[in-house]
Amino acid sequence: MNPLTDTETLPSPDVDETAANPVAGIDQTRGDFKYDVAYEFDAGTGLNEKTIDYISDVKKEAAWIREFRHAALKTFRAKPMPTHWATRDLENIDFDKIRYYLAQGQKPKRTWDEVPDDIKKTFERLGIPEQERKYLAGVEAQFDSEAAYSNIKEIVSRQGVIFVNSTEGLREHPELFRKWFGKVIPTGDNKFSALNSAVFSGGSFIYVPKGVKVAQPLQAYFRINAENFGQFERTLIIADEGSEVTYMEGCTAPKFSTSTLHSAVVELVALKGAKIQYITVQNWANNVFNLVTKRGLAHEEAEIKWIDCNIGSRLTMKYPGVVLKGRKARGEVISIALANDGQHQDTGAKMIHAADETTSNVISKSISVGQGRATYRGQIHIPKHLKGCKNNTECDALLINTNSRTDTYPAITVRGDDNYVQHEASVSKVNEEMIFYMQQRGLTEGQAMSLAVNGFINDLARQFPMEYSVELKRLIDLEMEGSVG
Amino acid sequence: MPAPSSASAPARSPVGSFASDLFTSHLASLAAAPAWWLDRKRAAYEQFAGLPLPRRTDESWRFSNILGLSLDGYGLPAPATTRLAPFPISSAASLTFVNNTLIRGAAAESKLPAGVIVTTLAEAAVRHADLLQEHFMAQPQKLGSAKFAALHTAFVGDGAFIHVPRGVELAEPILIQHIASGAGAAVFPHTLVIAEENSRVCVVDTFVSDDAGAHFACGANDLYAGHGANLTYVGAQAWSRDTLSFQFNSTVVRRDARVQSLNLNVGGRQARHESLSQLQAPGGFSEMLALTVADRTQEFDQRTLQIHQAPNTKSDLLYKNALRDKARTIFSGLIVVDPDAQKTDAYQSNRNLMLSEEAEANSLPGLEIQANDVRCTHGATSSRIDPEQEFYLQSRGITKAMADELLTFGFFEEVLNRLENEELHAALRALIQTQFKKK
Amino acid sequence: MSSLVIQDLHVAIGEKEIVKGLSLTIGSGEVHAVMGPNGTGKSTLAKAIAGHPDCTITKGDVILDGVSILEQEADERARAGIFLAFQYPSEIPGVSIANFLRAARQARLAEGEELDATAYYKRLYARMDLLKIDRKFTSRAVNEGFSGGEKKRCEILQMAMLEPRIAVMDETDSGLDIDALRIVADGVNTLRGPNLGVLLITHYQRLLEYIVPDFVHVMYDGRIVKSGGKDLALELEAKGYDWVKKDFATATA
Repeated sequence: MNPLTDTETLPSPDVDETAANPVAGIDQTRGDFKYDVAYEFDAGTGLNEKTIDYISDVKKEAAWIREFRHAALKTFRAKPMPTHWATRDLENIDFDKIRYYLAQGQKPKRTWDEVPDDIKKTFERLGIPEQERKYLAGVEAQFDSEAAYSNIKEIVSRQGVIFVNSTEGLREHPELFRKWFGKVIPTGDNKFSALNSAVFSGGSFIYVPKGVKVAQPLQAYFRINAENFGQFERTLIIADEGSEVTYMEGCTAPKFSTSTLHSAVVELVALKGAKIQYITVQNWANNVFNLVTKRGLAHEEAEIKWIDCNIGSRLTMKYPGVVLKGRKARGEVISIALANDGQHQDTGAKMIHAADETTSNVISKSISVGQGRATYRGQIHIPKHLKGCKNNTECDALLINTNSRTDTYPAITVRGDDNYVQHEASVSKVNEEMIFYMQQRGLTEGQAMSLAVNGFINDLARQFPMEYSVELKRLIDLEMEGSVG
Repeated sequence: MPAPSSASAPARSPVGSFASDLFTSHLASLAAAPAWWLDRKRAAYEQFAGLPLPRRTDESWRFSNILGLSLDGYGLPAPATTRLAPFPISSAASLTFVNNTLIRGAAAESKLPAGVIVTTLAEAAVRHADLLQEHFMAQPQKLGSAKFAALHTAFVGDGAFIHVPRGVELAEPILIQHIASGAGAAVFPHTLVIAEENSRVCVVDTFVSDDAGAHFACGANDLYAGHGANLTYVGAQAWSRDTLSFQFNSTVVRRDARVQSLNLNVGGRQARHESLSQLQAPGGFSEMLALTVADRTQEFDQRTLQIHQAPNTKSDLLYKNALRDKARTIFSGLIVVDPDAQKTDAYQSNRNLMLSEEAEANSLPGLEIQANDVRCTHGATSSRIDPEQEFYLQSRGITKAMADELLTFGFFEEVLNRLENEELHAALRALIQTQFKKK
Repeated sequence: MSSLVIQDLHVAIGEKEIVKGLSLTIGSGEVHAVMGPNGTGKSTLAKAIAGHPDCTITKGDVILDGVSILEQEADERARAGIFLAFQYPSEIPGVSIANFLRAARQARLAEGEELDATAYYKRLYARMDLLKIDRKFTSRAVNEGFSGGEKKRCEILQMAMLEPRIAVMDETDSGLDIDALRIVADGVNTLRGPNLGVLLITHYQRLLEYIVPDFVHVMYDGRIVKSGGKDLALELEAKGYDWVKKDFATATA
């Protein structure tokens, strides 16, 4: 995600024209820059047992974590690439050419002043410290393998909220985090969750105590700076009974000629009556393979909502899921994907109903432009003997220009006669008369397309926090401007 | 999404009962057949024997009960007669096959317009070799059953060959009945329909067992609708409750042609139906309908593919399943729009009516769109009878059971109403009713 | 002062020639009504002036203030001052009228120049007051779910905000009841003035009771067969289009 450096020029929130200006002059290459950084720790190229020992050694990890990593490496090696259902583009990832751990140090700084200059200037350019001051409850800024900066506002930490990186979470708070670590997404869930389990580093570990409602969002920012690098952050958020938290993540990388791998594992646990909202605006450079496993476990009357926007990357494969474990739990996935030339957004949602009266809602909108390809994959599972479960799924795809491709592959299993599942999907082309109508009002074709696309996703974008919907709109404008004529 | 992890099944023979000596004796029984036909069968057998049985990780078999697919315990049955009453519709011509052999051929001469051919595959292989070569199992197997389709070609004994020449319209349907008789009987029904330019024909295939034995059915129908042709096909499948059934449909739709197909499924222990519609030229329209009544532990596995290969084509699919007891259904449908098929209008809908706590409905409605200027939608729902509707009927003094039956029939009527032929509509409705009363 | 000069214009849609040599000059401050039976090429003329991609100009020219606009894209023509009020305005889901107009205004500024949001809203609200349009209207998506009258009113509001030099109104009266018609006509009359030339395309005379034209042209079979003052419309109303057809038949015989 690009940062929000232009927040001061935003219209006031009482005006609904957040999406007003489709021609704002934006630096198209905002994330595409790189400063040279001297890494103190480097696990070298390629992956084997020594790589894992190196990571474990520098992190001074407990023996059980080291064992966990080694077991995961075995699982990773044993699992085939899922090309029997997924794109063959996965075969272009060369695991022997990737660097699995690069860091300047393991302990994130608590103030920006302490962050080494060469790293700090990257985040300053991305506008992170500024946003933190404005509207965030806490920020973690990860640079390659480790967080360079991590801080939480005092008012939030005094409520007992813990917001640390994965290394620190497992070391300092094992009683909280070990219980759920790797439980929502087991190592062997898929090949890439196994890879992450073997080499994970960075990411956020968050605990929100009972009844605490964190008013402002917590934000993580993921930056890939090095070439031939793999980023494998691991995030675990536990919202205790009746608590509420919103977490937002953004990401960028410079554009290298070689491919880069980002493979995260994100686990959410919402205990009874808790609410977690997890927002992603993914804007990786389009040489990044973005293969992410995200799943939440919702207990009784808890609510987990994934808001997932995929704008960047070469290939994204991501299907956020919710396991609805407790009665009346709710799960939601709101997903927006924009696939431009050379991109494949393979996204979707997974809703596993495991208790009575659970409800889930999936709304997915994709836009395919030029040679871009968008795929929706869904899984809705309502097993035997459950009562009163409901799922609603809507997928809409918009096609722009001639060579784009869109696919929709939902999978729905329902058992029993007391549940209700509905799936609707449509694919349509952007309406030519509509574009002409807008051109007749003086908009260029690109501007008209941009407005049409923003209109197409408008009902979803409204659900985002203001700053994010503005950012999303700008990203779409950029993509559309470049794609027409 | 990763497929469910595979349970290791005991190694099964990839050919089961259909070993090479059985094939040799089958060939020996076809002494009168031309050489090309026998060569074709030999090649098919090689293909069948060389392909593995489906595995759980095969996407095209997702959710299927792979363990139920055993090919053991079957044999080629001896010819037999039947006392089953014919399907109650009037027809322009009818053929009845028991255990792969024609026992009754009744072409009501006066009703069959000049030039229309309704004959057996065996005869067609001799007299209409060019047409048979062009259309018999000629389309690609894209839905996962290449192995079983090859098995069909290898062992097909006889079947129906229907050719309607240019401009000829038939007022009444042509009825083809396929009957399996005797425990362990393996049957390979086939119906081939060629509707030439601007012709009009309706063909009804029925599939029934003469007894409650364990049968193996592996059938196919090839439908070809030439320029401007209007072809209606109805398949009524009511095999015994112990039958393992495969049925493969291929439909080719040429310019401005219209094909309507309706498959009614009530029989079998485990029944897989694959249907492929290829819209090859502008103006073509394929309407694909299916009704399934699933009860006890039946599994109905339906896989469909609508391929739009030319601009301005239309397809409309509606598959409805009513599930009772512990029945399972799988609907996996895909709409593919090729890059040049602009102005495609494709629709696909799967509706599951859940009538018991233990029934399981799986839906995999899919879209693969490579053209730009298209309108494609699909939908899937799984739900019980609407309690409000049920209450409304009850408030008029109708019992709950009767209300449910009425509403269930209402659910089917939406599909049956699309048939033009009233007699056929009534006969299919009666078949569904029989299935409901069997409980 | 502006002028739109249409010279011997021939327009084809696909292979078929629809407009067959039409000439007309519209100056600022003038209202020209083009009337004619259905299928005579009136809407094609409107689309061709606006630069619809379906229209192929096979011969002739369209000149705005001395410059031919035929090589310009639709949006360039719009920014040059041509406004088309559509017979069937498109719905633009998810895009509010306010955002849409703001984007259209922004598109008229030089590169790098930012629209003054405050001034924009002030202006928007002033125009809405002038046209007696409720403020809530602008937060609705453009034309989405609008009644026929609302769609036409939305067109008039856009015209008011974009300040064209030449407005082409294509069957603005179609599908409107008399109240809606009056509202739309009031809007046009309000905007009428020395800086705006109007080409009013209509099938019925009744619109001309509310918007009184300076010139009336009768179009038949792709060209103008009769021109006159506002009385021509009344004559046409009394005698019907058959009169024109007959005349035309004799003239070309």
